[in-house]
Amino acid sequence: MAVSTTPSPNSVSESQPVAAQTTDAVKVYGRGDAMVRALDGVTVAFAKGQFSAIMGPSGSGKSTLLHCLAGLDRLTSGTVHIGDVELGSLGDKQLTLLRRERVGFIFQSFNLVPTLSAYDNIVLPLTIAGRKPDAAALAEVVRITGLGDRLKHRPNQLSGGQQQRVAAARALASQPEIIFADEPTGNLDSKASTDLLDFLRHAVSALGQTIIMVTHDPIAAAHADRVVFLADGHVVNEMHGPTADSVLGVMRHLGD
Amino acid sequence: MLGVSLRSLLSHKLRLALTTIAVILGVSFVAGTFILTDTIDATFTGIFNTADAGVAVTVHGHAIAGTGKGIGGGQNHPVPTSLLATVRAVPGVKDAVGDIFRNGATLIGSNGKPIGGNGPPTFGASWITDSAISPYHLRSGRPPTQSTDVVVDAGTAAKNNLTVGESIPIVFQGGVEQHFTITGIAGYGSSDNLGGATIVLFSNATAAQVMNAQGKYDSILVSAESGVTDVVLRERIAQALPSYAEAETGQQAAQEAEQSTEDTISTFIGTPLLVFAFISLFVGSFLIINTFNILVAQRTRELALLRALGATRAQVLRSVLIEAALTGLVASILGFGVGILIAKLLLSFFGSASTAGITLLPRTFIVAVLVGTIVTVIAASLPARRATKISPVEALAEALPETQPLPRRRIAIGVVIFVLGCAALGVGLFTSSDAKLQLIGVGFLAVFIGVALLAPLLVVPVAIVLGWPVRRLRGAAGMLAGENARRNPRRTALTAAALMIGLALVTMVAVLTDSLKVSTDNAIEGAFRSSFIVFTEGPDFSTQAAQTLAADRALSDVTEVRGTSVLIGGSSEGIAAIDPTNLGRVLSLNMVSGDASAIASTDTAIVDSTEATASNVHLGQMVTFDFPQGSPVRIRVGGIYTANALVSGYIVSIATMAPQVPTPLDDILLANAAPGVSEHQAEAALDHDVSAFPLLKAMSRSEYRAFVGQSLDTFLNLIYVLLAFAIIIAVLGIANTLILSVLERTREIGVLRALGMTRSQTRSMVRWESVIISLLGAVLGLGVGLGLGIAVTGSLHSLGITEIAVPGQNLAFYAIAAGFFGVIAAIFPTIRASRVDILRAITTE
Repeated sequence: MAVSTTPSPNSVSESQPVAAQTTDAVKVYGRGDAMVRALDGVTVAFAKGQFSAIMGPSGSGKSTLLHCLAGLDRLTSGTVHIGDVELGSLGDKQLTLLRRERVGFIFQSFNLVPTLSAYDNIVLPLTIAGRKPDAAALAEVVRITGLGDRLKHRPNQLSGGQQQRVAAARALASQPEIIFADEPTGNLDSKASTDLLDFLRHAVSALGQTIIMVTHDPIAAAHADRVVFLADGHVVNEMHGPTADSVLGVMRHLGD
Repeated sequence: MLGVSLRSLLSHKLRLALTTIAVILGVSFVAGTFILTDTIDATFTGIFNTADAGVAVTVHGHAIAGTGKGIGGGQNHPVPTSLLATVRAVPGVKDAVGDIFRNGATLIGSNGKPIGGNGPPTFGASWITDSAISPYHLRSGRPPTQSTDVVVDAGTAAKNNLTVGESIPIVFQGGVEQHFTITGIAGYGSSDNLGGATIVLFSNATAAQVMNAQGKYDSILVSAESGVTDVVLRERIAQALPSYAEAETGQQAAQEAEQSTEDTISTFIGTPLLVFAFISLFVGSFLIINTFNILVAQRTRELALLRALGATRAQVLRSVLIEAALTGLVASILGFGVGILIAKLLLSFFGSASTAGITLLPRTFIVAVLVGTIVTVIAASLPARRATKISPVEALAEALPETQPLPRRRIAIGVVIFVLGCAALGVGLFTSSDAKLQLIGVGFLAVFIGVALLAPLLVVPVAIVLGWPVRRLRGAAGMLAGENARRNPRRTALTAAALMIGLALVTMVAVLTDSLKVSTDNAIEGAFRSSFIVFTEGPDFSTQAAQTLAADRALSDVTEVRGTSVLIGGSSEGIAAIDPTNLGRVLSLNMVSGDASAIASTDTAIVDSTEATASNVHLGQMVTFDFPQGSPVRIRVGGIYTANALVSGYIVSIATMAPQVPTPLDDILLANAAPGVSEHQAEAALDHDVSAFPLLKAMSRSEYRAFVGQSLDTFLNLIYVLLAFAIIIAVLGIANTLILSVLERTREIGVLRALGMTRSQTRSMVRWESVIISLLGAVLGLGVGLGLGIAVTGSLHSLGITEIAVPGQNLAFYAIAAGFFGVIAAIFPTIRASRVDILRAITTE
């Protein structure tokens, strides 16, 4: 079973401000015999300007944690903060506006809107918010994703890697406080995966972006500054400056 | 748990439920029409059978040619009262009574308005004292004996709260009020009255006087002594009769009355309702095609998997068709049930006196179920066929093509069907083909199908144009609405096409009525010169009014236009008689040849050019008018004129007609203000004169024009009501497409919500897509409707519709209404879209 002692509440050093955090997060699905505690008292914080990865075996609750952090799902008990905003107290409309204003998403299956061009997809969160894109920032995002000659294409005219880069550009275009990436490389080949992870790394290192990524791929996790390990709804371990091998080692242990 | 099962029902059964509703609506209209007419038929059959139960033989004159059929049968010539003795003398006759029964006795209600308005006929009849023969059964009071006694039918009495002892005014043939006292209330046969018609009964002598039947009976009713069969008695009586009379058994008379009634009902109620029922079904079939298209598209993978596992194409096709057949069958049976409700509703609307409930014939059930099922299967077979053509590999690869261009073949087929439809319409409308109506019907169908096939070509440009303002107004939601409307042009086009049909027909009728209005307006302006016109909305009226007006010093040029029918070459024609003295001051006749004043000489007529051409009559020719109540007269054609809004056909002088028509009736009266009297004073005087004649209306020329316009508006409103079904189905169709689209795009909507789209933005997105689809339907409908309206109006040029008018206001209203329909159709889909569970949408593969 899981390691009984959770590492002390969080491992963010005092000097770094917190981008998002949970305290005693509990998420229960179903009732009676079918009851599953997907999160069972998770207290964890993610620093601003860091690339964090959440890892764990299937059913560990890593996706649930991401969804609750991102305001897509609600906790059964405990609290979630993005910046200093407590999400549990927000209604659907306020949560929606929070996602729109402060959060970016990258999904495993790209989830581009098929009727819109790559450019329209990239600026979609801004269009939804009724905001004008910041031309300079947008040009920079387009430059580093290398999508310059693909902007007029529809998603079905793009390769998987290109689609995911559009999705990443979409997440960055609104310059959110925090980007959540849910298995972003899950549907990509290794070349496209590396490109995307390099791009995310660059966004953190060069642009100061905060990224929290759920993945089960040790190589992907190795691009992060810090890895948080979950098992059975608990935080069981964490690692700073991970490598693929060190991550794999912990994972192997969790898999036992 | 209920919520969960409902949600599951909504996501799966909902798709078929909407198809089912479309079939139900179409079928219920068809079934309702049959049930309605069957029930009315049965009611009358019951009435005639019970009414004639005691009558062995009926004796009457020969049928008056051209009086046509109607409820209860056509009119016969009356027989002299002396014939009664002849009939009574026939051995085997137990009793024989003379009967007067004719239209034109109107009760005036306490509000001074005629009871029954302009609806069913108002019969005046003689009370029959022999209760064995009489169809009238006294419910209360006593029979009429005095000259001021009247017995009223029970239906009319109940509806108008008439009671025994009450005094009531009655108007005969549009004359002045005469006061009677209700002495009794009677039923007719087993019923309260004759299917809604008013019957007022007088003593024999009074009836003869007030109904203008002195010395005459409309028929003689005979009962048989026991042991003498009706057939034998009829034989004996027939031999005793002079040549002007004929005899039939009571049963024959009842059957004739039934048959004639049935024909009348089917002509005026059944057929028109059936036409609209089939329009609804046609629109419904678009909905069915679309639903199955989408269902099959969503199930392409499942079907392909079946194919990959070894199912043959035929097996897959069969499985879809069986599903369609089952849907159609269940929906048809439900539709039959709803049809019963519709029939009941309409029956109460028609105010039927039926007490026996409704008539359900097996035929109705069979037709309803067959029609509904067959339409569903045919509609479903098109998408099913397409689904089975996709190769298993292609479908399993999930390469769902976003928007494929319209195949050339489909465009070609669409163009061919459209052109053939236009050709059929052209031939049907503009030539006198035997299959005129069939050609027009097929033409309409083909035009609609052709446009529906070509409509996908219009989706993208129209969506771009309509989408632009929506995008400006609604930002991201508007942009996505526009994109969504055009992402599947065929689906959007088919959905819009369903709305197109209803709107096109409404537009067509609006163009037609507006053209008719403008034409009539011009025609009225050009047809008569007099300041005033007096008329009724019912049958022609007594000449009493003309005498009153002629005596009024405020009026001059009071001119009667009398009407009667004569036989010309064996066929019945309505002719008019006018006093030629003031002709030029009251009427404006456009002469083609000859002179209108020619009718001043006796036995001379003028005839309108259309009639002249149709019956090949030329100036100076001799024509024989056979007056039913008079003798044949040789008439010289002294002029040919252009028919106008007031007069058409043959016109003679009153002097020519008078000797042949013992009781003349006026069709209209025309009058001017007397010299030195202002129009205003003259009108006041006229109104005062006419107030004595409750059935008559007096109007100035401009009032008359407005009045005619209003009656055309009433017609247009009736069409709106009848087409409402088709439009409701089309709106359901839009809702259906949107719900299916929302289901299909659950993931996409989830992503949009995750990216910060609010619920209200999501609703807005779906709503505006719906509005764009509806407006596309409006663009198509108004376009096609305008074309059809102009074509149909053009074809009626010879009937005097000379102007083609486009009712811009109406059309703008239809477009706005269509947008509104879009909003209505979107209500349910928007709710579904805004309730998409974000997590489930984006996490389920």
